[in-house]
Order: sequence, then structure tokens, then C-alpha cells
Amino acid sequence: MQVTSMNFTVESWNQQTVVVHVGKALDFRNASDFKAACQEQVRAGVRNFVLDFSETGILDSTGLGSIFSLYRQVSPLDGQVVFAAVSRPVQVVVQLTRTYKVFRQFPSLDAAREAVK
Amino acid sequence: MTPLAISNVNPARRHFGDLERVIDEVHALFDHWENSGIFSPAFDEDKVQLMKLAIHEWLANLVQHAHFGSRIPEIRMDVTPNGKRVRCVIVDNSDGFDLGAYLTEKRAALPVLPERGMGLLMLDAATEYMNYHRDDDGCHRLEFSVSADQDPWLNIPF
Repeated sequence: MQVTSMNFTVESWNQQTVVVHVGKALDFRNASDFKAACQEQVRAGVRNFVLDFSETGILDSTGLGSIFSLYRQVSPLDGQVVFAAVSRPVQVVVQLTRTYKVFRQFPSLDAAREAVK
Repeated sequence: MTPLAISNVNPARRHFGDLERVIDEVHALFDHWENSGIFSPAFDEDKVQLMKLAIHEWLANLVQHAHFGSRIPEIRMDVTPNGKRVRCVIVDNSDGFDLGAYLTEKRAALPVLPERGMGLLMLDAATEYMNYHRDDDGCHRLEFSVSADQDPWLNIPF
């Protein structure tokens, strides 16, 4: 099932896992929409979030902060947040902030699907 | 400053007068500049992205937090490639603020996995040199450079 929430498409993989297709940008202009979309999923029982950055040209500090917020929400529930198909602009943010120490990265959605079961 | 005027002197100079559009316009400009090859091969794609991120964070701060009083917001941006370095100057007609004090405060009090407050720290970390001051005409000027020789990082508490 796919649910499009503002700029984000949320695709359910199973009862506990969704992939969020982030789209062109996750920044100060839409970070609150991202948080709301993810919180709705958490309330529905989702614990694992795969963030698809394949088309993402902008990830800024506010966007990253919204991902931190999601991580703080699901990690006490044994959930996880992982990155997949990370684009170059997103990789630059990941490198600058060393957030690869927090979020596992996978080269593709298929690889993420295999790892996050 | 005249909004949306384009200088013939520097191909990487622009004026912006619409805060609603400035972020998208700057990203589109960078795409155009990258495709036009204005950056040296020594300043690779990652460094171009880093420069773009630094500019984005500053503009995002202006859009969200700057006070312009009764003035129409105006922003002028100069990007000057110079081999392994790219220099950027962003001038705006906002009231300005004490950037040094802000950065000192944020560095000392950044919480674990922060949701806000990282933007200007990311800008500071990404830049080799940064200076912010008030010009004689009352506008505020941010100058910074990004170097291809840097491997910058921001220490975020995890």
C-alpha cells in the first residue's frame, strides 16, 4: 500500500516496516510534514523506517533534525531508521555530520529490504 | 540593492528579492553553474554540494529568523571560484545578529541528536574561513570560503 503525504510517499513493506520515499527535498520547508507523516506511521505500529534518498537533492539541518526526532521515537521501541540509495547531496550531509555512525546505509532499496526484516 | 538585477562582471553573482523563492532559485543556479563548468575540476562535486549546503543553511536562517523591519528583503550573493577554493559573499538588508555569540552558545549546549540549532554550526564547520559584519551602508555581509583540501565535520552528540 502507498500513502502520499504532502511531499512524501510512504510505502508499507510489512506491519512494522515502511519505506519513505523522501523525494526532492527534506528541509526547513517540509520537515514538519515529514515528522507528521512518520508519527502517523508510529501510531499505527510501524517501528522500522527505510528512508529512500534516491531522488533527494536537498537535505538540510532541519531535515536531519526531523530524522533524529524519528530515531529518538522508534529506537526505544526496538525500531530502526536506515538510509537507502543515498544521493550525493545527502551523502555530503551524512559525511559532514558523521551520522553514518547512527544510521545504517544501504546502496539500494532491495539491499535495505533484505537487511530490515 | 536592486532585486533580481544581474551583473555582467561576475557570472556567479545574483540578487534576490523574494524570500519565498530564494532557496529554489539558488539551488537552480548551482545546477546551472555546475553544468556550465564554472567550478575547477579540483573543486569536486562533493565540495560543490558542501558549498551549496553552506549557502542553503545561511539563506534558511535568513528566511526563518531574520528581521527586516519595514524594508523589502534583499539578498545579494557572489560566488567566486578560485582553483581549489570557492569564496562566497552574501549581503542582506536585515537587522543582523551576533553570529559569534550564537555559535558559541550553540556549541556549548547542543543536545544529543538535536532537532534544531545545527544549521549555522554546519555552515561554520563546512567553511575554511567565515566572517560576518555590518557594512557602512547598514547591510550585513557574510563572507566565507570552502576549500577542496578540507575534510570538515561537525561534532554532533549522538
